[in-house]
Amino acid sequence: MPYVFILPNMAIFGTFIIYPALRGFWISFQESSDGRNFKYVGTANFKAILTDPTIASVARNTATYVISYVIISTVLALTLSIIVNQQTFLKGMYRAILFLPVMLSPVVVGLIWNQVLDRKVGPLNQLLQALGGGSPGWLVEPKLGMIAVIFVGVWVHIGFYSIILLAGLQGIDKSVLEAAAMDGATRWQSTRLIILPLLKPTTLIIVILSTIHGFQSFDFIYTLTGGGPLGATTLIVQYIYDRAFQTPIQYGLGSAAGVILFLIIFAFTALNFLVGRKKEAV
Amino acid sequence: MKMHKLRSKIALASSVAVAAGLLLALPSAQAADTSTLQPTAKQLAAWKGKTITYYFYNDSQAELDVTKAQLAAFEKLTGATVKLDVIPYTSLDTTLQARLAAGNAPDVARLNNPGLYQNVALDLDVALGKNYKTEFVKGTTNQVLDPSTKHLIGVPYDLSMNGPIINVDQFKKAGIAIPTKWTWNELIADAKAVQKANGTEYAFAIDKSGHRVSTMFSNFHAYMVDANQKNVLSDPLNKRRATNALTILTNLYKQDYAPRDLWVGSGNKYASPSAVFLAGQVPVFFSGNFALANLVANAKFNFQVVPNACETLCGGWPGGKFLMAFNTSKTPDLAAYLVNYLAQPAQMKTMDQQAFWLPTRKDLVAQGITYPSRVTDMNIYLADIAATPAAAYGIQSVPTLTGLIYNNLRDLMTSVMAGKISAGDAIDQQITFIDTQLATLSKK
Repeated sequence: MPYVFILPNMAIFGTFIIYPALRGFWISFQESSDGRNFKYVGTANFKAILTDPTIASVARNTATYVISYVIISTVLALTLSIIVNQQTFLKGMYRAILFLPVMLSPVVVGLIWNQVLDRKVGPLNQLLQALGGGSPGWLVEPKLGMIAVIFVGVWVHIGFYSIILLAGLQGIDKSVLEAAAMDGATRWQSTRLIILPLLKPTTLIIVILSTIHGFQSFDFIYTLTGGGPLGATTLIVQYIYDRAFQTPIQYGLGSAAGVILFLIIFAFTALNFLVGRKKEAV
Repeated sequence: MKMHKLRSKIALASSVAVAAGLLLALPSAQAADTSTLQPTAKQLAAWKGKTITYYFYNDSQAELDVTKAQLAAFEKLTGATVKLDVIPYTSLDTTLQARLAAGNAPDVARLNNPGLYQNVALDLDVALGKNYKTEFVKGTTNQVLDPSTKHLIGVPYDLSMNGPIINVDQFKKAGIAIPTKWTWNELIADAKAVQKANGTEYAFAIDKSGHRVSTMFSNFHAYMVDANQKNVLSDPLNKRRATNALTILTNLYKQDYAPRDLWVGSGNKYASPSAVFLAGQVPVFFSGNFALANLVANAKFNFQVVPNACETLCGGWPGGKFLMAFNTSKTPDLAAYLVNYLAQPAQMKTMDQQAFWLPTRKDLVAQGITYPSRVTDMNIYLADIAATPAAAYGIQSVPTLTGLIYNNLRDLMTSVMAGKISAGDAIDQQITFIDTQLATLSKK
């Protein structure tokens, strides 16, 4: 009987998640330039990806982005959630402002920041110029392009992570903090020795989620930089998209790259989870 | 922009015929029955209540408005329903190829890269008769003839011509005469002078497109592929000319006379600087007649089309859009009729007039198109069609590769602008790329 209740959900999950995933896995061993005719090529697609001269820079870009994104997002979300949690005045407004970018379409986010970061007419550089800071080529210089993409990525998701951490913070028993205060603990000591350890399970979720988001980042980057300048912000998902959907389309290659991405995310998630559990056990 | 009430008839016949004559000799123009084809009672009975999908992109609001009106008339005539899918130009091929792969193909599409869809196109020789293709100026069907059967698999919907558009107010303010003939050096010198006088952000901007850049190559007498599917860029003279043209163009971007952010900062995507031109931040905008309707609707200043620069050679670079029906259609006869209907003289003429398109039908070319405004501009495009060298049409001999060749040139230019490679390196890499693509094509 319980299986009947979960059947609708499993049917949807199976149709839209499991079947496409299995189909993608199957296509990764095929060659197809039109999506209708397939030819089995064994592991040729995987070999082609690993020997593709652009894959090294894509891997480097993805690693740079994911590591920076996860660290900055986690630290900043922790900081912001602790600050917002301590606010008593206009608490709701601060949370709403923090969460606002999450509600924007990623495509719109990319387009907005594309305008803001324009080297000559963008408001950011106009402000920098007024302050004597020059006109950095955010969308023209490869290194600055990556910085811009990391910044926008963090800006988009930080509200989401902060809200999760806020919920975690509110789950901490206030009497523990009051007792610490009565024992003479400073605010920093309470944060370091009580709040952060108690928030560890929630922080682990943030690390896992931001790792997944980092690897999956594509939409806002595509509208912000298109993967440029000179491929400096082309991450693994755009690599998959370009192989699968840009002329000449190569569905086998795209699917093989998708399988590789799945394995990477799976490995990182498992690693995070295992490390987190091990520390908890200690 | 005020709509001028000019109603002078443009003598299209001579100029387009000259252009076409450069391609192939024109067969005698004769009206075929398909030019005013009407559905039979049997067809009407079969089509009633059917729905077909038209996959469409538009460069201007006028194109969309005219299309909607014509589809409404088509629905009234046939009793069928046409679902209009409006797609952004930047994802035109990406989305269509994904839809074809997923078995969700539209019935009819407006395309600019028909070579990609040869295998799934409906044979219009079968659907509309062998003589149907003779209704169009012969050279315009080059890209929509099946390579093996030479049957028509798409309809040339419009002919396009690239060229510069200038901000007249800014030229006047700078005291620079409106050019009637100029070289690329003069074009650049004028653009820089106008930029300086008006304090605009940039002097020159060109659509981020290998197709548009090919115009400059042609002016410098440099070509990539000839009519025999041969890589001619490897010819030392061609290579030197192309390198020279590329150096001049990319230097404008490197030196900030052109919007480098727009080109380099948009990755591997198409980008148009039309918004920069409309904002009055660049006095010379290199695009084509397809940009005109948008400018007419939105420009708050006087602008004008001026002739392409003459370097070694004059003229522009040919292009156009196509209508194609797909063989996956459940109602192929209805899909073929929609293609025919939209390309009938009455419909094509209205679209040409409202959207500033150039016709592809022999009968319209013979009659001439009466444009409601921008007559001088359209005449300049027509003169440039006539002045375009025959060699510019050579690349149409490889319709499946044109998009790839143009896009690779575009991406190599990005590397030159960013200082990663020299213009000479870019041309060398383009030669290798073309060789590889042609070798792949010959294997197929």
